[in-house]
Amino acid sequence: MPDPTITLIITFIVIAAGWVVFRPERGWFWQWQRGQKLSAKVLQEDALKHIHQCETHGDKPSINSIAGALKVSPDEVTKVINNLEAHDLLHFEGGDIRLTPAGREYALRMIRAHRLYERYLADETGYEETEWHDRAERFEHTLTTESTNQLAARLGNPTYDPHGDPIPTASGQVIEPQRILLTNLNLDKPARIIHLEDEPETVYAQIVAEGLHIGQVVRLVESSPQRVKFWADGDEHIVAPIVAANITVAEMSEAPQQAQVRGEALSTLQPGESGRVVQLSYRIRGAERRRLMDLGVLPGTVVSNEMSSAAGDPSAYRIRDAMIALRKSQADLILIEKETAQ
Amino acid sequence: MTTYPLNNHEDILNNAQSLRWEIGADFHEKLMESIYTDASQIADRAVIRPDKKPRFDLDRTIDRLVTSRVWGFPLMILLLTIVFWLTIAGANVPSGMLATLLLDTVHPFLKGVFADLGIPWWIDGFLLDGVYLATAWVISVMLPPMAIFFPLFTLLEDFGYLPRVAFNLDNMFRKAGAHGKQSLSMTMGFGCNAAGVVATRIIDSPRERLIAILTNNFALCNGRWPTQILIASLFVGGLVPAHLGGLVSALAVVGVAVLGVMLTFASSWALSRTVLKGEVSTFSLELPPYRPPRIWQTVYTSVIDRTLIVLWRAVTFALPAGAAIWLASNIVIGGDSIAGHLINFMNPFGLILGLNGVILLAYVVAIPANEIVIPTILMLTVLVTGTAGVGSGAGVMFELDSDAQTLSLLQTGGWTLLTAVNLMLFSLIHNPCSTTIYTIYKETGSKKWTWIAAVTPVLMGFAVTFVVAQVWRFVESLL
Repeated sequence: MPDPTITLIITFIVIAAGWVVFRPERGWFWQWQRGQKLSAKVLQEDALKHIHQCETHGDKPSINSIAGALKVSPDEVTKVINNLEAHDLLHFEGGDIRLTPAGREYALRMIRAHRLYERYLADETGYEETEWHDRAERFEHTLTTESTNQLAARLGNPTYDPHGDPIPTASGQVIEPQRILLTNLNLDKPARIIHLEDEPETVYAQIVAEGLHIGQVVRLVESSPQRVKFWADGDEHIVAPIVAANITVAEMSEAPQQAQVRGEALSTLQPGESGRVVQLSYRIRGAERRRLMDLGVLPGTVVSNEMSSAAGDPSAYRIRDAMIALRKSQADLILIEKETAQ
Repeated sequence: MTTYPLNNHEDILNNAQSLRWEIGADFHEKLMESIYTDASQIADRAVIRPDKKPRFDLDRTIDRLVTSRVWGFPLMILLLTIVFWLTIAGANVPSGMLATLLLDTVHPFLKGVFADLGIPWWIDGFLLDGVYLATAWVISVMLPPMAIFFPLFTLLEDFGYLPRVAFNLDNMFRKAGAHGKQSLSMTMGFGCNAAGVVATRIIDSPRERLIAILTNNFALCNGRWPTQILIASLFVGGLVPAHLGGLVSALAVVGVAVLGVMLTFASSWALSRTVLKGEVSTFSLELPPYRPPRIWQTVYTSVIDRTLIVLWRAVTFALPAGAAIWLASNIVIGGDSIAGHLINFMNPFGLILGLNGVILLAYVVAIPANEIVIPTILMLTVLVTGTAGVGSGAGVMFELDSDAQTLSLLQTGGWTLLTAVNLMLFSLIHNPCSTTIYTIYKETGSKKWTWIAAVTPVLMGFAVTFVVAQVWRFVESLL
């Protein structure tokens, strides 16, 4: 029989070591795995993507900007660039790095894989929004052209990724929409938010606080040096021009119908009160959205709060003559218009 | 809108392509939304609803009571306690009757018939002492509690009360990353884990359903209650004066069950944050209107659908297990039976865990059903200690009528209080029975999840008993 003191100490050490090495996210093993030297293929593909992004935004890519984007040393970038040039994917034009047509096609294929995979993560898995980008960033390199096309077919050939960016088609077509700053938009012309600048942070914080998100339909009401007033998905927003200048939109040819009422969260209903659904937040997606629609949570449906559970959450709502319990986190994302009690 | 010249199919395709870009990302959803909205408007026009609300709404009155902050939880605990009490108290009598009939009457009778016919001892032993006895044992212990528990539980379900339990408990389960309805599959698991796993079908969210399936094993099923009660009353109850013994051993058993519930929450939490993070998760819980339970229909369907199916599966697994137990105890190689060799082989490992080789072997052969663990342990203990005058021979499972006899036999087998405590822990934390494993495979359709469900609890059980044994011995060495 082994000495209990020694086995106890060994057990403790093994458990502690296991925790340090394998604990979720911050364990050494996962850190090591993430820090693994990226394979040459991954670096090349990421470099192509960065250069393509710079070209579409009208910036000039440089060794340093690539090194920054890829988080590797400039020396390494030089190697990558030389390799790409040898494969005829990029060339130098008077000192500027430019993609060749073949390079552009390759970059678009990567972007297609990335955005499609993000779409897949958003629609068909339970991963949090914050994880989509990193997961897609890793997975895009393993998708072949064929498997990308299969994924696209399975998702119903989506045109936009969950962040509102267009997904290039299999033939490499992509519509980069005409980008207009919100301040320059024609009055009363419908437009869709396509980009929210996250620098400087204080301005971005205001954008987030207004609840604006990519894909939202906006309509400019007033634009003066003092203030910018606009409708976004039924909500009126008034912001300073400096904030509005950080919102990029694309004009739309036709306006979708939209309810011009300010919605309140369903969770604000007290037991006994009722309201009419205005819309489901964009943050309810995939299976969850379909489920709610199956239950009849649709614009126009009258919903009344019947009671809350013994523990406070969830609450039971009467929806089309059925009692459905919804958690507060869900009721927060369903916008309603309160009805006055009869 | 811009107009496009539509001269040939390529133009049409190009036109469609560019229009797709314009309509935006969410057109599928918008389309679906408008179809649903149209459908509901048509329904509103076509369906006439009585718009007068009744002055007294019975459903709401019951709901206000069972979900009230003050009465909700006490009522729930009271009702579930009544169900469990009825099950345990009510099952004793029919269980005893079945045991008397199958084990004490039919078995000797068959033995007599076989002897009269002059059938060789090994055929008689294999068929009657092995196959028949194991099956009869499983039936007599398993059938009565299930035949009482499932109909009672189904009645509560049919009445509409159980969804309210899920509604009240959802907050707790949400914090562990699980679904409120898991409270129901867990409660069902107290009756039988295989039935509990089937009951997870009510959870419509894939992630939460997998969590409920993988953690159901931590609900102490009725095959394990008798083991817990026997060992607790022999060893734990024996620590205190006789008049307190019953209370203390009951508390020990409840403590193990509560530990199981805590493990359910802990492992749900861990699963939802690691391996199951990527599974789709949705939540919705319908609270159907109350209705008077259809008693006979409920009894019939719950006996047919739940009890008999589970019993049938258990029997099909118990048959070969009985055969294996008998053969292992009776085939002698090199002066010792196969069982003896296996026990000697596993004994050092078992002792480190604070158990012993007999217990480990009993858990290996009792994978088909937890009900036969104690009879197998007793039989194997007699086999290895060579105790005379107890039991009915190698490979014949038995139970003793008197607790004192059982205690002294186990102490001859080298049992201490530590062995008893660790057996209780290991009985809670070990692999599901083969019936449950098979059911998990049927329900998930995945070998991966079946393996995880089968192997993880055993490893956890080894870890827990190991640590308890070491701490125990460490403290003992200090005293």
